This record gives sequence, structure tokens and C-alpha cells, in this order.
Amino acid sequence: MDTSAIIMFLVGAIGLWGGLILAIINYNRMARREKSD
Amino acid sequence: MSSAMQDDVTGARDQWGTKLGFILAAMGSAIGLGNIWRYPYVVYENGGGAFLIPYFVALATAGLPILILEYSLGHRSRQGAPATFHSISERWEWLGWWMAAISFVICTYYVVILGWCLSFIYFSFGQQWGEDTGAFFIGDYLATSDGAAPSGFWDIGGIQLKVLVPVVIAWVMVYVLMQRGISKGIELASRILLPTLIVMLILIVIRAVTLDGASTGLNVLFTPDFGALRDPGVWVAAYGQVFFSLSIAFSIMIAYSSYLPRKTDLSNSGLIVGLSNAGFEFLAAIGVFAALGFLAVQNDVAVNEVAQSGVVLAFIVFPQVISTLPGLNAVFGVLFFGCLFFAGITSMVSILECVVAAIREKFDMSRKAAVNWICGAAAVISLLYVTRGGLFYLDTIDHFVNAYGLVVAGLFEVVLVVWISRRLAQQRDHLNATSYVKMGPWWTISLKFVTPILLTFMIVYGIWKEIDGDFEHFPETGRYSEYPVSGLIVLGAGGVALTLLLALALSLNSRAPHDQYVHARQE
Repeated sequence: MDTSAIIMFLVGAIGLWGGLILAIINYNRMARREKSD
Repeated sequence: MSSAMQDDVTGARDQWGTKLGFILAAMGSAIGLGNIWRYPYVVYENGGGAFLIPYFVALATAGLPILILEYSLGHRSRQGAPATFHSISERWEWLGWWMAAISFVICTYYVVILGWCLSFIYFSFGQQWGEDTGAFFIGDYLATSDGAAPSGFWDIGGIQLKVLVPVVIAWVMVYVLMQRGISKGIELASRILLPTLIVMLILIVIRAVTLDGASTGLNVLFTPDFGALRDPGVWVAAYGQVFFSLSIAFSIMIAYSSYLPRKTDLSNSGLIVGLSNAGFEFLAAIGVFAALGFLAVQNDVAVNEVAQSGVVLAFIVFPQVISTLPGLNAVFGVLFFGCLFFAGITSMVSILECVVAAIREKFDMSRKAAVNWICGAAAVISLLYVTRGGLFYLDTIDHFVNAYGLVVAGLFEVVLVVWISRRLAQQRDHLNATSYVKMGPWWTISLKFVTPILLTFMIVYGIWKEIDGDFEHFPETGRYSEYPVSGLIVLGAGGVALTLLLALALSLNSRAPHDQYVHARQE
């Protein structure tokens, strides 16, 4: 793959999948806090 | 509380079994056919990798804000869309009914595509579509009449038995899930089908990227053309993709969130659903274009000669890919069409559920009766798409209800909440009271200014393109511009007008059990 294509792939992958992973981590943290309350 | 909305056994209102179950069901609703067969081509056609910039902007300023707003509307009112809008302003109940009517129309043809997927799972064994996959799909399977001529478009012909049988099977599956209810039907199906769908897509992507020529396809997909960002059409495409992909304005998310327990993190659930939907279609684009690159290299042609979207991509181009594979052709076929079927059926039940919720609340009906009436009526109408002209009717109605039904309804929804009833602060307070991620100025500015302006621009741009005769970006079949004007007016514009009239008629009906429901909640 060309360098520019690889860069845009990484932008998409990090933006979308990274964002999703962060949201899931947040969700789990909130769920644990709810349980401990 | 309206008795019909209570569970027959426990006496409690229908509710998701778990919060995870709700997230999976909402993901199942958002992830549909368009993620697999529309998004890859939209990226390719609108600047390649550069498209990700307007796509991220659209996701942040329209997709996620509207999605989270719909969660808040349904969760706060704990009712379907008509009753939710009725509780905001009695004069706007029609908007909820319009959304429900549009959803009803969509489910009448969506199930037919599920039937096609079932057929093609079967055809994958032995690649029964032969050498000329276009002739097989259009001629042998659908037995489509000549839609280019006015007489061809209206040549309904007889019902095609080989299409009818899989459509009936798809209807039976959908009906059983709907009858089983929220937690035992839709949630259970989503818990099984959604993880399976993701695993299947990952297998497809792994196989596709290891094929000869995959990098050629991925280069075409991701190489950025930043000059394209100066074209307003690219930005419209990004907002359109985000809007249609997230099941916004169907009223699905209002109905789904109404079944959530009081204490639920709505904002974070919305972020997970929105980002997983976007992440899924990004993955699908990799699989699709890696496979298209392989096909292009095998046929010694450029990727743009095989790049397609919609029905043509799924049922004409992909069978060619499957036939050309060096081995395990049937397995790849079952995975691909199985993916489409699983993505489609979880969306289909969500589209039906928002109609069921609306009817049950309005007419104080049991789930069984509501599902019987709605599935029965939709099944009869879906026979129209099983005829020789079915593909043309599906194409026309799909274009009009999406472009002039959903987008206009979405615009009205935002304008009603933000500018007419001025309930945005109330909705934000509701969200922030239960959510870990707080909605702040970004959410408010997006919904107050960005979303209404962009949706208005989308509508005006779409109409301008229609008048200009530049239809090729819209249709699933690529044949839209050949259809007779009579067909576009009667089925397209007429279909949208009919949903609007139906919505107005239902909102004028004075019998409204949800009035008691609203009042009970307020007390």
C-alpha cells in the first residue's frame, strides 16, 4: 500500500476503533462504580 | 400506565434484560446492509482516505448528537415516538407517526432483500449464479422486466416463486423474534447474531486482505484526494452516510431507549453504539475493497471498473469475487451473504419495533395483536417487490423515503426539540443526570446550529441534483435515471405523501391511551 493510503488507514483505525475502545473502558468504569455504590 | 405496554406475565413494562443487551440491540439496529454495501463505495467515490475528515466531522456534529438526543427523548418519556412528541406538543404527534410510517414502508422492502440474501447463501454452494452474474440476478432470479421503458416499469408480472419462498422464510424469522418481545426476542437475537456477525466480518477481511491484488483495492480506497473536500457534494455524502447509517429519524432509538431502566448511562451507550457502527463499516470497507482489488487484478482491469455499491455490489459483483477465489468459494459466499443477512435482520426487527411500540401505545393493543397486524400488512405489501418489477419499485421507494422522508423528519425532530419547544436544556439535564460523559456546549451547538443547517442543505442539494438529472449517486441499481416519470411520481413522491397523510390521520385520532400514560408519569 502507498504511504498516504497507510496514513489514512491509520487515521481511520485509530479514530474509530480507538474511540470505541475508550468508550467501552468508560462504560466498564461506570458499571464498576455503580456496583460498588 | 397503558396496560398494553405491560408484559403479560410480570405486569411490568417491556424492558431490556441487561444494559449490554440494549447496547447490542442498538448496535444491531444501526449496523445494517448500508454498512457493508454502501459505505465502502461512498468513501471511494468521495475523496478516498480524505473522506474520513468530513466523515469524522459529520459523526461528531450530527450523528452522535442526534443519536444521543433520541436516546434522551425515549428514555425520558418512556414511550414510542408519537407519544413522545405528543408529550412535547400535542400538535407534533404527527411527526412521530410519520417516522413510524416511514419505518413501516422501509420494512416492507427490507425483508425482501433479506430473502435475496437467503437465496444467495444457497446459491453460494456450487456458485449457481454461473459466469454472467448480472444476467443471473436480474434475469434468472428476479426475472426483472425492462425498466427502461414506461411499459416495462409498470409490467408488474407475476409473483416470482423463487423469490417469494426465501422472503416468506425471512418473514417467519422476523415474526417469531417480534412475537417473543424485547428481552426474549430482539435482545436474545442481538446477543447471538451481533457477535457472530462481527466474527464473520473479521474472517472475510482476513481472507480478503490475503488475496492477490488486495493492496491495489486498498490503495484505491484509502489514497486521499484532499482536493475533493472543496466539493460540497462530498460533505453532503458524509452527513448522509452518518445519518442513514445510524438509524436516525426512524424513531427506533426513541422506542429502544424507552425500554431502558431509569438509571442508565445514555451518553456513553450512544458513543459506544455510534462508534461501533462506524468502526464496523470501516472494517467492512477494508474487506470489500480488498476483495474488489483481487477481482480487478484477476480480470486485468482497473478497480474502478468493478467498484459498485448497493444491490449491484452484493448480488452481481460479489458473486464474481466468490467464483474467482482460489478455494473455499462456498464458505466465503456463506460468510458474505450471511453477514448481510445477520446485519439486515437485526435492523429489520428494530424498524418493526418502533412501529409496534407506536401502535400498541395509541390503540392500547397487546404485543401479539400489534405484531400480527403490522407484520401481516407489511407482508402483503412486500409481495409488490416479489414481482417482475419489484426491483424498480424497491429502488424508487427506497430513494424517496430516505431522501425526502427520513431526512426531512430528522430535520423537523431537531427543530421541534431545539427551536420550537425549546426542550434541549431539559434533555441535556436528563442525559447529564444519568450519564458519565456529560453533554456540554459541543452537543448544544451541534444540535442548535450545525445539524439543522446541514440537514436543510442536504435536502436542498438533493432536490437540486434531482432537477439537474444527476441521479446516479442515489440509486441502488444505478438505473434510476431510466425510470419513467410516472413511476417516480406515483411510487416515489406518492409513497412519501402517503406516509405523511397516514401520519396526519393517526395523529388526528382522538383515541389516545398514551394521554393517560403521559399524565400518569407527570403525576
